This record gives sequence, structure tokens and C-alpha cells, in this order.
Amino acid sequence: MRLVVKNLNILRSIINAISTSFEIKEIVAAAGMHLPNLFQFSSFGLLWKEGPSLYLFQEKSCPASFTQEVVRNMVKIYSLLGEEPIDPKQISLHMEKRRVNPKLIATTASGSLKSHLTLPLAIEDEIMGCLSINSDRPNAFDAQDLQFFSVIGYQMAATLKHFQRFRSIKNIAIYDTLTGLHNRRYFEERLGLEGQKAFSASTPLSLVMVDIDHFKKVNDTFGHTEGDKVLREISSALKTSVRKKDIVARYGGEEFILILPEANLEDSYQIAERIRRLVENTPFEIGNVRLSLTVSLGISNFPNHQPESKEDLVEMADQALYDAKRSGRNRVCIFQRDAEKQNDYKEEDPCEALVES
Amino acid sequence: MAVNSEKKGKWSSEAVLDLYSKLLTEIWETVSALIGESILEFLFNLAVQKLKGKHPFLLTLKVSEEGISLDEMKGTCQGKPPLEIHRGFQSLVTHLFDLFSAFTEGVISRELFPKVLPKVREAERMIAHK
Repeated sequence: MRLVVKNLNILRSIINAISTSFEIKEIVAAAGMHLPNLFQFSSFGLLWKEGPSLYLFQEKSCPASFTQEVVRNMVKIYSLLGEEPIDPKQISLHMEKRRVNPKLIATTASGSLKSHLTLPLAIEDEIMGCLSINSDRPNAFDAQDLQFFSVIGYQMAATLKHFQRFRSIKNIAIYDTLTGLHNRRYFEERLGLEGQKAFSASTPLSLVMVDIDHFKKVNDTFGHTEGDKVLREISSALKTSVRKKDIVARYGGEEFILILPEANLEDSYQIAERIRRLVENTPFEIGNVRLSLTVSLGISNFPNHQPESKEDLVEMADQALYDAKRSGRNRVCIFQRDAEKQNDYKEEDPCEALVES
Repeated sequence: MAVNSEKKGKWSSEAVLDLYSKLLTEIWETVSALIGESILEFLFNLAVQKLKGKHPFLLTLKVSEEGISLDEMKGTCQGKPPLEIHRGFQSLVTHLFDLFSAFTEGVISRELFPKVLPKVREAERMIAHK
């Protein structure tokens, strides 16, 4: 009786630890830390079909061959669930190696997988993967272990369901549904963070504001459905032209904005010019017609333009975009203060100055 | 004579269905206590889907978290040769055992065999006598 109460208390702690986790890795680690109080095992794993990924919490003395056996076994069992088979080579492995059970004699270098308990991980009638506890000892698990493991499996599935819902709500909150780019709200949040980072580390930060030239004509002539198609194609051109660390967002209508962390003026000009050229050279199929479209771009930069706030930096990029539009469209302009502009206009086109330099 | 054999046939089908109804209920009760209703429901449906081509009547087996029901099957299987029903259920039970073994090695089978094996033997005896 005392043993049952003890085990139930352990189970409660595990469930509590799982349900307060926010990421798959955390969920596996939380369960893995507590599971040795219930049963002895060499590794505990969660195979997640998205990715696909395998999260393993494993006794640190287990050899690599043991890990490979666990991977193969989980993939084999997953394939029995009527799902698309997973190629073990495609799996990204996230492993946490620990002394799982100090009382156990460490697994020898030749230790191989001798027994396991595996359960499907079903979330809202969809199989998302499977869970497994593995041992290098034969017949390591009994019916009671299976009962406890299934309760833990249900809790993990429930937590992952909440996690998935949370993620989809988060996606709705940060992505623009039409283009798949980040939305303005996310841009503003992110600009705040990147601005703080740039200010405290004294690293450069650039913004590029992009606007499709004569987009209203496209909408008026071909309709909004075709206009939306153009927005999506330009969005994909923007995504392919930036670096991994850059953030591309839809600012509103046919306007987009790029946050380029650690990019000085020259870097940002190169990226903006790459975008301009890519759009200029891309034929757009609109209705039954092939059209050429162009974009105008405005750049602002910290610390070059000495913005006093993030709003200032946006305002400067917007001003530069306005200059690009005013000076003929299909060009990249860098922010200039009014006084600088007057001098520049007399001498040369400010937008071309950096290209020449 | 025709009435008698029809009656006899109907009785036999019903008897096989009753027997497997008890056997599946036994499996359900034993295994759901180990892995929970929801996973077991999934495994049952997986097995039915796998076998539906060869034994379409298995699709009328209703499996939910509440358990197993053969009510619909009893209506649709009237007049079906008992041997055919037996073969279908035999495949289902075998496939379920294969799944249980793959997932939990011998843990489920060890609990299940003593309870289920006598009923499988009974079904086989019944079919052999017929």
C-alpha cells in the first residue's frame, strides 16, 4: 500500500513537471528526470514526426550503437502505425546524456537494446510520433511499468496538444496570413529587441522599407486576386534575398519592411539592390499577361543616421523610400537629412552615390 | 430441412459472434487497464483498417473509448458462414497480438494469453465440430 502511494506521488510529480513545460525538449527532460524514480531504464525517447526529430534522454554511459538501435526500433514501430515511414537518416537527434540511475551498473560499451516499451503519441486523433523507454537488460519492464508509462504518455500527449494550439495561436499572432511573412505587430516587437541589442552592443542595425511601384494599377486592372498573387511572389523574392538573421515583415498594403541586424549601410544597400534587381528581372504572370514590376526601397541605419528611437529609424526608412519614389522609382535610396539632400540634389543623385562609391 | 439448416447456420454464426464478442471484451478490459482506452481504440481501428480488404465485415465492428460493440455486425453478418467470421476474427486477434508484441514486447501478451487462449481454442473447437 505504501509503495502504491509512493508511486502515485512520483507519478503526480512527473505529470506536474510535464504539464508546466513549454517545449518538446523540456517535456522530455522533465519526464526523463523523474522517470528513474518509477522504473529503471537506459533511455527515454520521443519521436516527433514533424522534422522529423527524436528527443532522447539517455544514460550517459550508453554507447552510440545503443542510440542507433533505439532510433531504428522507434522508426520501425512508428511505421506500424500506418503513417508515412520516416527515414532514420533524416531524423534530427536531440540528446540529453545523464546519469539516469546511479544505482544501476553503468551500461557497458557493448550494451545493446534488450527491451523496450513503446506507445503511439496521438494528439487529436492524429499520430504525431511515439514514446519509448528502453533498456539494455532483457525483460526490464512489467505490466505495472506499462501502466505508469501509459499515464505519462497521455499527459505528454495532452501537454503537446496545448503546446501545438499555443503555437498555432502564436503563428496567427505573428504572421501575415496572405504572404506568410511576419506581420507589423511582430515587426514592432522585434525592432524593439533588435534596437536594444544594437544600442547596448554598439552594433549596426538597418531597416529597409520596400514598396511595389504602381501596385494600385495592378489591382485596378487585374483585380485583387491577381494583386494578392503579386504580393505573395514579391514576399517570396524578399525572403530569398535576405540573410538568415534578417526579419522580413509586411508593413501594410503593398509595403514591406526588413530588419537587418548587424548590417552597416553597405551591407544593407547590397541586400536592397539584390531585391530591386530580382524583382525587376522577374516576369510576373498576371491573368494571361506577363508583366514587369519594380520596387522602390528606402534604407535607414543605426548609428549612421543617429535615430533617437525605433520610431525614428522607421520614419527615416520611410523618408528614404519617399525619396526613391520621388526620384523616379525602381531604386534604392539611403536616408538623408533635408540639408544634406539640398546639397546632393545640386551635385548628384543621392541614391546613386553609394553605388558609385 | 431447409428451415433447420438455416436455423442451424444462423445459430452457428451467432455463436461465433458471441464467442468473439466475449473474447474481444476480455482483450479490451485487460489491455485498456494497461495502456488506456484511447491508444487501444487506435490500435483496434488500425488492425481493422489493415484487414478490411480481406475481411470487409470487420468494418462493422464499432470501437470507441467506451469499448467494443458487435451490435451492427450481428445484423450484417446474418447468413454469413461461421467459418468466414471465425477467420476474420482470428486474423484480427493475431494482428492485435502482433501490434501488442511490437509495442510492448511480451508485457501485454503475458497478461493476455491466459485469459484469451482458452476462448480462441473454444472457437477453433466449435468450427472443427461443425
